[in-house]
Amino acid sequence: MRFNEKELVFLSRQPTQRAAELGMRGPKKGDVVKKRFVKLIVNFLFYFRTDEDEPIGALLLEQCRVEREDLQVFSIVFLDEAERKYLFECDSQEQCAEWIDAIIKASYEFMRKNLVYYRTEIHRLTGKDPLEQYGISDETRFQVNSALPPLPPPPPPT
Amino acid sequence: MKIHKKILTHYLSCTSPVDKEGYLYKKRERNTTYLRRWFVLKGNLLFYQERPGDRNLLGVIVLEGCMVQACETDGQFCFSLVFTGPGLRTYRLAADDHPSQESWIAALFCASHIYLSMIVRDLERRYEEAKRDKGLCVSIQTSEVTSAPNTIMASWYTGQPYFIQGTSIVPRDGRSYSTSSIAPTYVPNRPSNFSLHAPPAQFKATNKRSPKLWPKRNAHVTPLNGPAPSHSEWPMMGFDPLEEFSKLHEHYGNEVRQLRADWLKKKRKETGYIEEDLIDLG
Repeated sequence: MRFNEKELVFLSRQPTQRAAELGMRGPKKGDVVKKRFVKLIVNFLFYFRTDEDEPIGALLLEQCRVEREDLQVFSIVFLDEAERKYLFECDSQEQCAEWIDAIIKASYEFMRKNLVYYRTEIHRLTGKDPLEQYGISDETRFQVNSALPPLPPPPPPT
Repeated sequence: MKIHKKILTHYLSCTSPVDKEGYLYKKRERNTTYLRRWFVLKGNLLFYQERPGDRNLLGVIVLEGCMVQACETDGQFCFSLVFTGPGLRTYRLAADDHPSQESWIAALFCASHIYLSMIVRDLERRYEEAKRDKGLCVSIQTSEVTSAPNTIMASWYTGQPYFIQGTSIVPRDGRSYSTSSIAPTYVPNRPSNFSLHAPPAQFKATNKRSPKLWPKRNAHVTPLNGPAPSHSEWPMMGFDPLEEFSKLHEHYGNEVRQLRADWLKKKRKETGYIEEDLIDLG
């Protein structure tokens, strides 16, 4: 499958507030924790070998679940394959909480829901559609009925 | 760089809404031929394959940091995705007809995550303003009623979008379509009548008490993405504030008058004399 790699690498080099060196472990059996420089940009999680310019990989943060695994560890599960977890080890509890929060809010679908919510509420409060002035009221992606249903609640912690 | 293809294909095939799909012609990189491909736009990703329903995904274009431009030179109904940056590519696409070209340009223009986050931040600010303007008890209601959404929405997305030079959104006024500058400037060629699918207004005339006396709503009842609570809980609904304000003023004035009368009665019983009004209430 082709993709615009150069453009994505360029994107990965942009400054972001959510970047740090974390311990990262892949989902496969036998994968070990490795120090990686992790950057959250738009809805992608890029991860680099420390001091390298080009990322090793990019994870699209859509249709995934982020969970706290331990005081300083969080996981991301993709494709509803609960056994295939990416683990990230942070330096502190606070950093861990911040990353979880940031990743959840980074998803495009999450933002779309927020937009629909604000649009609806502003309309109720003011009688006006706030998207009219941008000329995007009719775009399918911003329609009230296009937002995803809420995700099922996460399983209770074991 | 590894892109984790399975995650992308899963996103494509899952139940989240497809923003646009259809046939477009895509110019080959080192060739002048245009090939017909089935494109699917979802979020900030533009997928393409030979035919709809094909298992084999040919490719994906991540739509961040590009401008969408109509180009007349290459022939009819063409447009480009111009990635701004050293050595970055321009994707040349073409539609079958003018409406399709316009429609795709409009959809791709507002597809980027950066654009969406700008709009959301702007709406968040305007939502807060709208609440304040309505004189609802923001400090009480937002902390209780919307405490669930606020834990998610409060102070989210603190990062500066890096392709943007400023943080304000400028209304559209020209024909250059840019997702990477501060000014969204595409003006669509269609009426801007508003098509928000809000639930039908069933304004109940009851419960017009002043805001402070309304029953507090359970925060868990408010769905983040669902329709807002019933109209009876939003006292301003159905009002055109400019026309109805005098009526509202009258109504709240009556309530105040009643409360004052009750209070005065009570006071007279207690103290046995009548105080002068400090304010002439007319």
